[in-house]
Amino acid sequence: MNHGQHSGEAKHEDDAALTEFLASLMDYTPTIPDDLVEHYLAKSGFQCPDVRLIRLVAVATQKFVADVASDALQHCKARPAPVVKDKKQQKDKRLVLTMEDLSKALREYGVNVKHPEYFADSPSTGMDPATRDE
Amino acid sequence: MLGWSMSNGVGEGGRRSQSREKRKLFQGSDFSYALARTAVAQICESVEFNNNMYQESRQGVRFTSFQESALDTLAGVALHYIHSIGKTAQFYANVAGRVEGNSLDIVQALADLGSASGVSDTGSCLADSMLVRDIIRYTGEAEKMPFVYALPRFPITKEKRHAPPSFSEVRAEPPDVHIPVWLPSFPETNVDTIQGGAVSKENGGRSEVFKSSKDVRNSPQGEEEMEGNPFLTAPLRFLENRVSNELVDINHFPDKHSSNNHHIPVLEASALSDDINWKNRFSESEDGEKKGGARPQQTLLRFKIGTLKRPSCLATKRSVQGRRWFKEGEVKREKKSDIEENHQRIDSDVK
Repeated sequence: MNHGQHSGEAKHEDDAALTEFLASLMDYTPTIPDDLVEHYLAKSGFQCPDVRLIRLVAVATQKFVADVASDALQHCKARPAPVVKDKKQQKDKRLVLTMEDLSKALREYGVNVKHPEYFADSPSTGMDPATRDE
Repeated sequence: MLGWSMSNGVGEGGRRSQSREKRKLFQGSDFSYALARTAVAQICESVEFNNNMYQESRQGVRFTSFQESALDTLAGVALHYIHSIGKTAQFYANVAGRVEGNSLDIVQALADLGSASGVSDTGSCLADSMLVRDIIRYTGEAEKMPFVYALPRFPITKEKRHAPPSFSEVRAEPPDVHIPVWLPSFPETNVDTIQGGAVSKENGGRSEVFKSSKDVRNSPQGEEEMEGNPFLTAPLRFLENRVSNELVDINHFPDKHSSNNHHIPVLEASALSDDINWKNRFSESEDGEKKGGARPQQTLLRFKIGTLKRPSCLATKRSVQGRRWFKEGEVKREKKSDIEENHQRIDSDVK
């Protein structure tokens, strides 16, 4: 890389931080499995034997997904719930990640998701399970 | 189903034609996609939203359920994100004259994808003062949460299929003169040995299924029991269900005496430890008893393995229907209701 001649110290700091972070990634287990990330990285043509880099990508992706999810969560909370849903939600108090919120959240990240207007999705598929986190 | 495109600064024009392939790449039903879906669901579950306005929820709010399409989309976007990172990082590595990328390439790729929350200072060397720090902060804040179940090494090496022993190894005479001794033996010649080697045969059949299903790069051994959220269940469980339902077919055929106490240990040895499947299996075998079709046992154990690709409901249906010829007319109605019950049960299990 041919940049960064002029900002030597900042570069040094950043490099140190990055190196330290990479070293700490050896102990950190991202939620996205290494093998999955490695598989898709290999599909994209990127090759590296270093597990730290794979974890770096995994952590970055995890952060991305978490950011999107938290944005969608905010949309979900901010949206006035319709009456029918309100009852349902009051009944079992659980939030459903809907396409509507997700597309709004993703738009901020430059991903345009076009949600078919009358696409009959089954939001109830996730309603069955026992409440795990509550 | 859903059209989405990612604008990552490279330019969106002329991407329409590729988008179909992309969609094929990132929205499929293969194993890796299912894994990604589970991981994304897990991440989304861990995201918490604290707001003082909502007093009733002290612990913060989080998603506990997902629309299928939303989860699919998010998983697809996440995979696309990984793909884009890889592609861009590789591009930067190649520009710098390297084959293998390093961390700086990845950071640069991340910067290109615009995942920095703040305004990235392009003048700075790495552009990562914000970006890397964000990620570091994230790893510090987020709860450390490994994937729900242990995976074996991802591209699993396929086991070599062992050819059946030849006639000379079995020490059997070929049924006809024109068949040389060194050819692999016919299945019916080693009926005696099948009994002993039934377990291995079963396993072979199973691995065959896993191989035949495209892109499934895993074996069921690394899985644990899951509870709760159906979105976090092992993607291979469905496969297992299917397989075991196929195996259940075997249970239709054994005659009255041997059905319960003889064949089930063999199935047990094939290590499908699912309660549902067990119930299923027992009920099926009871059915088999009821109908009491007098059938040779071992031969069926052999060729049912070959027809594993059929959908399970169909398979049971056919196998039962085929047997209908041997029945009296009276039994038919009972059987019909039995079949329907079976189907409902199987369907609900599969679901």
